[in-house]
Amino acid sequence: MESSQAAPSSAPVSLVQEIAELWGEHLNGREVGADDDFFALGGNSLTGIKIIDRVSQDYGVRLSVRDFYLAQTPARVAELIEQGRAAA
Amino acid sequence: MRLTPGPGRDIDLDSVDLFDLDLYTSGDPHPIWDVMRVKAPLHHQVLPDGREFWSVTRYEDVCRVLGDHREFTSERGTVVTHLGQDDVAAGKLLTSTDPPRHTEVRRPIGAKLTARAVKSWEDRIRRSIVRFLEPALDGDTFDLAERALLLPAIVTGPLLGIPEKDWEELVQLTAMVTAPSDPHFQHGSEAATLAISHHELVTYVTEWVRRRRAAGGEDDSLLDHLMSVRAGDAPLTDEEIALDGYSILLGANVTTPHTVSGTVHALIERPEQFEKAQADLSLVPNLVEEGLRWTSAACNFMRYAVDDVQIGGGTIPAGGAVVAWIGSANRDESQFPDPHTFDITRSGAKRQVAFGFGPHFCIGAPLARMTLRIFFEELLQRFGPIELAGEPQHLRSYFIAGMTHLPIVAQKRQTP
Repeated sequence: MESSQAAPSSAPVSLVQEIAELWGEHLNGREVGADDDFFALGGNSLTGIKIIDRVSQDYGVRLSVRDFYLAQTPARVAELIEQGRAAA
Repeated sequence: MRLTPGPGRDIDLDSVDLFDLDLYTSGDPHPIWDVMRVKAPLHHQVLPDGREFWSVTRYEDVCRVLGDHREFTSERGTVVTHLGQDDVAAGKLLTSTDPPRHTEVRRPIGAKLTARAVKSWEDRIRRSIVRFLEPALDGDTFDLAERALLLPAIVTGPLLGIPEKDWEELVQLTAMVTAPSDPHFQHGSEAATLAISHHELVTYVTEWVRRRRAAGGEDDSLLDHLMSVRAGDAPLTDEEIALDGYSILLGANVTTPHTVSGTVHALIERPEQFEKAQADLSLVPNLVEEGLRWTSAACNFMRYAVDDVQIGGGTIPAGGAVVAWIGSANRDESQFPDPHTFDITRSGAKRQVAFGFGPHFCIGAPLARMTLRIFFEELLQRFGPIELAGEPQHLRSYFIAGMTHLPIVAQKRQTP
């Protein structure tokens, strides 16, 4: 899927890409695009728990559970990480 | 959903949509189930997105689907909100596990929840219920359905080992699980609401376990018990503890309140039944059974057919999802004559399957029965006639039949 078609994300493309890859790892290695929907990809709370833990380890940002599931795409989750870093 | 069905109407079973949430929020499913039991005891529905499921509505068929794990497995999920997605917690969450592992885990957990075991909590529960009821008698409108959501936390919170400050949040989360499309509980999409609530509840138990381990010792609570039980010669894994803890929280919180509200509503509509019970408190245990039958708060559970299976005059193909409609089974005329009559003296009310049937029969049933009995003993002794003070509102859920609002006004009973 073409990430350039979606609303521009304020997060760096590389971070969005990393998050998409992280999701892929936890979603049976499937290809994940920047604006793919977490639930349409088969994501669930047990996947979410693992992803939030990994983000916390790798980026030092503890995402809010609600924000994470309401964000729903790698691009928007990357923005949350950016915001978390800025606030830190 | 309406518990007293409205007037009969023409029903076209080919166009019936059992997943239509409006049917439960503002509609009337009982006349549909009545027709299904007679004309289509095995009913097939395909959703617009292509997912499909079969329904059984007769008492016998519901018991068979819930009771026989060799024909109908729980290991691909048991809750209709997850139709078509294999259960990620299969084999780990007790409700999504078949025997023999299920038996191994259930036996030691259930040992702490038998009728004899819960009896020791009776006085404590009675005090909690008396405190719960007091504000309803101060003359103002009391929203029983809204307040009752907190009742299980008040009653079982201490038994589970959950501090009071956490109750409100946990009740909100468990309500989100059961009605992810109800505006009272929704956060974003239905999928997001479910994921948020599952995530936060599982995390809550995980954190609870972590703190408990750090503190050391034992506290005799039910969650503590989960940490110490041995199933098949080994303790439960941390994941099993978190998931079963979640399941116990859910089971405790989301059903009993609706049985309370629905039964009180039935008594408000039938003052003669209320007076009859007041005149003879020995009727309360049967009133509780009839209330359970009448409200059937857990409206259905799902299983998947292991092989092609003949049931209800048709065939469910191997791998097909089947929904066992408990709410319908409990109004099956073959078991309950005049099924839509609420009668606290009904003989055979105890055959109700509101707690399910077979290996997955509600593990908390003895506690729920005792809580309901105490609730109605206290209500009947303290309350004079109860009146509605507004329109009841129903929960937007096809999984839990319940109420979100039941405004009532009550007077203190004038002791004779």
